[in-house]
Amino acid sequence: MAVKISNHDHPSIIGKHFANRISIVTRTRQLLKEVRKGLPGYLFIAPGYIVFLAFTLVPILFAIQLSFYETSFNISARQFVGFDQYIQLTQDPIFATALLNTIKYTLIIVPTTIVIALFVALLIDPLGQRAQGFFRGAFYIPGVAGGVVLSIVFLWIFNPTYGLLNYLLGGFGIQPVTWLASAPYSFYAVCTVVLTFTIGQPIILFQAGLAGISQDIIDAATVDGANFAQKALFVRIPLLRPVLLFVFATQLIQVFQLWEVIYMLTGGGPYNTSTSLVYLIFQRAFIGSNYGIASAMGVVLMLIIMVFTIFQLKFWDTESV
Amino acid sequence: MAAKMPGHEKTYLSLEKASRLLSYGFLIVLAATFLLPLYWMIVGSFKLQSVTMAIPPEFIPTSPTLENWNRLFGGPWPVWQWVVNSIIISALTVVLVLVISSMAGYGFAKKKFPGSKVLFFILMLTMFLPNQVMLIPLFLLVRSLHLTDTALGTYFAMAMPLIPSPFGIFMVKQFASSLPDELLDAAQIDGVTEWQAFTEIVLPLIKPALAALAIFTFNQSWNYFMWHMVIASDKFQYTVPVGVSIMSRTPAFGKMITDIGLTMAGGSFGAFFMIVFFIAFQQYFVKGITFGAVKG
Repeated sequence: MAVKISNHDHPSIIGKHFANRISIVTRTRQLLKEVRKGLPGYLFIAPGYIVFLAFTLVPILFAIQLSFYETSFNISARQFVGFDQYIQLTQDPIFATALLNTIKYTLIIVPTTIVIALFVALLIDPLGQRAQGFFRGAFYIPGVAGGVVLSIVFLWIFNPTYGLLNYLLGGFGIQPVTWLASAPYSFYAVCTVVLTFTIGQPIILFQAGLAGISQDIIDAATVDGANFAQKALFVRIPLLRPVLLFVFATQLIQVFQLWEVIYMLTGGGPYNTSTSLVYLIFQRAFIGSNYGIASAMGVVLMLIIMVFTIFQLKFWDTESV
Repeated sequence: MAAKMPGHEKTYLSLEKASRLLSYGFLIVLAATFLLPLYWMIVGSFKLQSVTMAIPPEFIPTSPTLENWNRLFGGPWPVWQWVVNSIIISALTVVLVLVISSMAGYGFAKKKFPGSKVLFFILMLTMFLPNQVMLIPLFLLVRSLHLTDTALGTYFAMAMPLIPSPFGIFMVKQFASSLPDELLDAAQIDGVTEWQAFTEIVLPLIKPALAALAIFTFNQSWNYFMWHMVIASDKFQYTVPVGVSIMSRTPAFGKMITDIGLTMAGGSFGAFFMIVFFIAFQQYFVKGITFGAVKG
């Protein structure tokens, strides 16, 4: 019998090394081949990715870098200070208030939005197509008008002497309130305005989710004698779980970035009781020209939102499309 | 069952009717509550200053006036210029987002190339990042390039942050993934170039997704308030939301009070365009919102 001699049969140290080198070379060669074969793919994503790098990724990285510099209006005179500005943030009472307020806004607005939207969607669901479209539109229109426009009219509604709200509350014997200039009312005034325009999107999502539930399941529950509330609580809402999670995540991300209503109504006051993280970033960066500290706040905000995003992406991976 | 118990069937039906009536009533009251601020704004735009401050307030104006609207269109604020600015900026954003997202989304969906997964994952990570973080460096960029010195540069600067649209790329990718591979393979056999396959086969098929994306982006760009406010330096550069907000904060009558009627006219004017846009394209709004969250 002839003895075959090859690297496979003789796993000596030299042979192994040689085999590894071959595999690295061939792997690189194969990769290059794949890259060359994938050229059309690269060309198709190139415009999008170049713009993404230029206007999103590089700016984010630059913001992270800026957070380690003390800056003024003249950005080229910045000075490296390491983590100093982050340490400053931990000792800054206004930053603490803004962060706490943001969490409070989220904890109040998100659950309220979800409960009202879910209730409305459950009521809309059994109606005819035209009625569905009408109510969907009616609840979504304030959101289309936008936070700025709504704030303009709410400035008038909340006016302590000639505003609509105090007049209506006066009918119930409630004394006039200076809604926008006293704590804690200014905080709740902001919540109210935000609620009027966050509600439309979840209603549409819930309604689409409910429409996807098979009628057989609902009919089965009806035959079993379940009433509206029972069907909602034990059949429809549990089946809506994926959409609920999605709405929860998107609302969380949205409300966490709340600022324009605060800018329009209260300016964060009185005494920062209604300020938010993004409003503070806006103030420090674009009014105070303190780009470094604003970037540090932005990085903190980014880290918080990143956690929500990963949660949402996980959901997208497993549950949809 | 029903044939045996006709009475039961009847009460069941009328019960259903009653509960339907009840939910209609409830929905109408609730919707009216949510729409009340907008109603109040529109009505307010037809009231004189003295009427806007009257107690009790007039729910239906007894002597409506066009004075506020006349002052809005004939006053010192270039409101139509704001509309033109908003339309140009939103349209520019939409066109660029559509071109870039359709190409990249198709590339990620149908083309195999090393690194595609990682590149896509990086995009997805930034999808929900707070915009404010990147606005600071972008603002410094715009300032150092003196982009706002020209009208065209200002428009581009205002559109800039929304042009890379991770959501758009994601949306097109999901949509394009569902296209049959055989279709594209057949095209390749027929000797069609990659670009032709994209423009002549893929684009027509992903039109519904692109329409929804266009509407979504237009609305998003229209209300991109913080950035527009930071960039605009004089009243001729304002977009609609920036203009009406600044108008509402400007004291009137030589005192520290607001010209309520004029402000409400401005707000109504600002809301008008997006509301008309929404009513015209409602189905696309719904598609854009439910995309990725709800199957079907």
